[in-house]
Amino acid sequence: MTEADPQPGTRRSARTEILENRPVQLDGFVEEWPEVGMIAMESPYDPDPSIRVEDGRIVEMDGRERADFDFIDQFIADYAIDVGSAEEAMALDAAEIAHRIVDPGVARADVLALTRGLTPAKLLRVVESMNVVEIMMAMQKMRARRTPANQAHSTSARDNPVQVVADAAEAALRGFAELETTLGVVRYAPLVAIALQIGAQTGRGGVITQCALEEATELALGMRGITAYAETISVYGTEAVFTDGDDTPWSKSFLASAYASRGIKMRFTSGTGAEVQMGDADGKSMLYLEIRCIQVAKGAGVQGLQNGSISCIAVPGSVPSGIRAVAAENLVASMLDLECASGNDQSFSHSPMRRTARTMPQLLPGTDFVVSGYSGVPNYDNMFAGSNWDPEDYDDWNTIQRDLKVDGGLRHVAEKDILATRERAIRALQAVFAHLDLPEITDEEVEAGTYAHGSEELPRRDVREDLKAAQAVMDRGITGLDLVAALEKGGFRDIAENLLSVLRQRVSGDLLQTSAILDHQLQVLSAVNDANDYAGPGTGYRPSGERWEEMKKLRHVISAENPEKEVE
Amino acid sequence: MAETDDQELDPRTDYPLGTHRPDLVRTPTGKRLEDLTIEAVVSGELAAEDLRIAPETLLMQAQIAEGVGRRQLAENFRRAAEMAPMPDERVLEVYNALRPSASTKQQLLDLADELENEFAAERNAALIREAAEVYERRDLLLAEN
Repeated sequence: MTEADPQPGTRRSARTEILENRPVQLDGFVEEWPEVGMIAMESPYDPDPSIRVEDGRIVEMDGRERADFDFIDQFIADYAIDVGSAEEAMALDAAEIAHRIVDPGVARADVLALTRGLTPAKLLRVVESMNVVEIMMAMQKMRARRTPANQAHSTSARDNPVQVVADAAEAALRGFAELETTLGVVRYAPLVAIALQIGAQTGRGGVITQCALEEATELALGMRGITAYAETISVYGTEAVFTDGDDTPWSKSFLASAYASRGIKMRFTSGTGAEVQMGDADGKSMLYLEIRCIQVAKGAGVQGLQNGSISCIAVPGSVPSGIRAVAAENLVASMLDLECASGNDQSFSHSPMRRTARTMPQLLPGTDFVVSGYSGVPNYDNMFAGSNWDPEDYDDWNTIQRDLKVDGGLRHVAEKDILATRERAIRALQAVFAHLDLPEITDEEVEAGTYAHGSEELPRRDVREDLKAAQAVMDRGITGLDLVAALEKGGFRDIAENLLSVLRQRVSGDLLQTSAILDHQLQVLSAVNDANDYAGPGTGYRPSGERWEEMKKLRHVISAENPEKEVE
Repeated sequence: MAETDDQELDPRTDYPLGTHRPDLVRTPTGKRLEDLTIEAVVSGELAAEDLRIAPETLLMQAQIAEGVGRRQLAENFRRAAEMAPMPDERVLEVYNALRPSASTKQQLLDLADELENEFAAERNAALIREAAEVYERRDLLLAEN
């Protein structure tokens, strides 16, 4: 800003005036300050990699003796790192390891055999030796599931279940494999989570849903079968911040198993910038601390991780090489054989160009979930404080897929089909609410919700009555099965079947494996039966056949048969 | 608790269990996947307890995870198998007890013993005992009164 302070009477460049008014000037940029951790990577204060193993135990790691390990060091040394292969792997040059990760000719399994023996500082050096193109090449090979997918948010500024159900249905129809919601008013959670679940199963049976809440509350909701998976189980890269978040790697490991014990899929969440944002980065770089988080996740035995800075994206976004660091953290998760739900889910920039650029390192190679919260509602309704993508970007997203022949999980859907599914979803929720004696959803709300873009276009609900009802849902012990019965009785048999299929997955536990989703036939697709086999040109996942034909469709495409018309 | 070593599972042919080996899958209440129908929901035959995972199934998924080289994931599933029979409230209690400054060392050790005695939860007990040691070393225990 100071560069532009002109002396009175000095003539200004017309071009500067234009540039000063560009949206990117509204973003925040800071100089690196490594001492407090305001540095993305390549910090002089990050430790040098080292390891010493004695009697099958790591006794020194990255410059620290075991007696001085904090709880993150101890957990990583004892649970995450494969002690048997550590010394040999650590002896290799970081750039040599990076070569093998990037080189399509080196098999993914061979890379994993190496990375499992590396310490946080070594993993950092490995990715520091890669530029962003190399990171993307590596991601193409290292992502766990062969087929990329995508995740959306469906929330409401008014926690309005009518909005949530309709936008969940639309998002599911457009191609998202997972849906997430959260609340403005926590007590609304049961109704909103029910709406999300029903909307998902209306749009496309098999889409799985989560409700982001405080840890114990989220587990309680999952146990009832109202949600199908959990994600916002956070881990942090310094001991101080981890305990500030009221957890330890041990409590989180127990929590992870608690979900599995109920047959519920889950992943942890972490991200660069969290520690410096929460006031204690221990003088380390953002990426170094994030790598510790990734290894905590690995050690805990969770199947996957949501990372890519997530809600802290403005922090790496403010420093040099921040977005490269974010791409690197997604890669490290994949390099450690974890499912990666790769961010792109938080507003961080006023510049549409920057918002798009930030997503390319995940979209172009593909990740398990390219966006771990594409807002399915306009950003003013997004209760995660706004996503990098929202429904006004749908057509741009689909166009980019078509331009580059890259599968970002979505497709264009005709308006009439969107309206039909939105209406049906609200009708289904209306029937369920009626059957369960919850506050009425009126026909006026059905119509408004069908055609609405956001909560501003919906009639206000009686919030007090809704909150009483939400409490009643918990007190009465209403479960997913009750929703199935209510849907069936309401005449929505197919939606009931879809929901029952999702609940049935708990029994077999197939959804617990790495990168598991349900496909359009309600069959489990995971890193086990859809393993990434990318090995260079002509190999791995490439959109083709029906899927590529689907990706070619946009809102307005001129017909080849008759250039006076558009393709239907 | 007996480990399910009866079945040698091959991730390539046996997974997903629900599709390829439904013969091996039972709910904790003894029902098969094919019993979990809409009709059974409507008739009241199916209850929430029927839509849970059995310890044996978790051990099979642990085998699958092990078979594709994911040993920590397998260990997670083995801990989960011990926890499957625990009531929901108990699980939440234990989780909350493991949070920083939530328990004294003795409380954690007693908790480990309880889970071991009541649920044969050896792996979870070991995790809790280890937590007690680490929390003591890192000053994360509830102060003794």
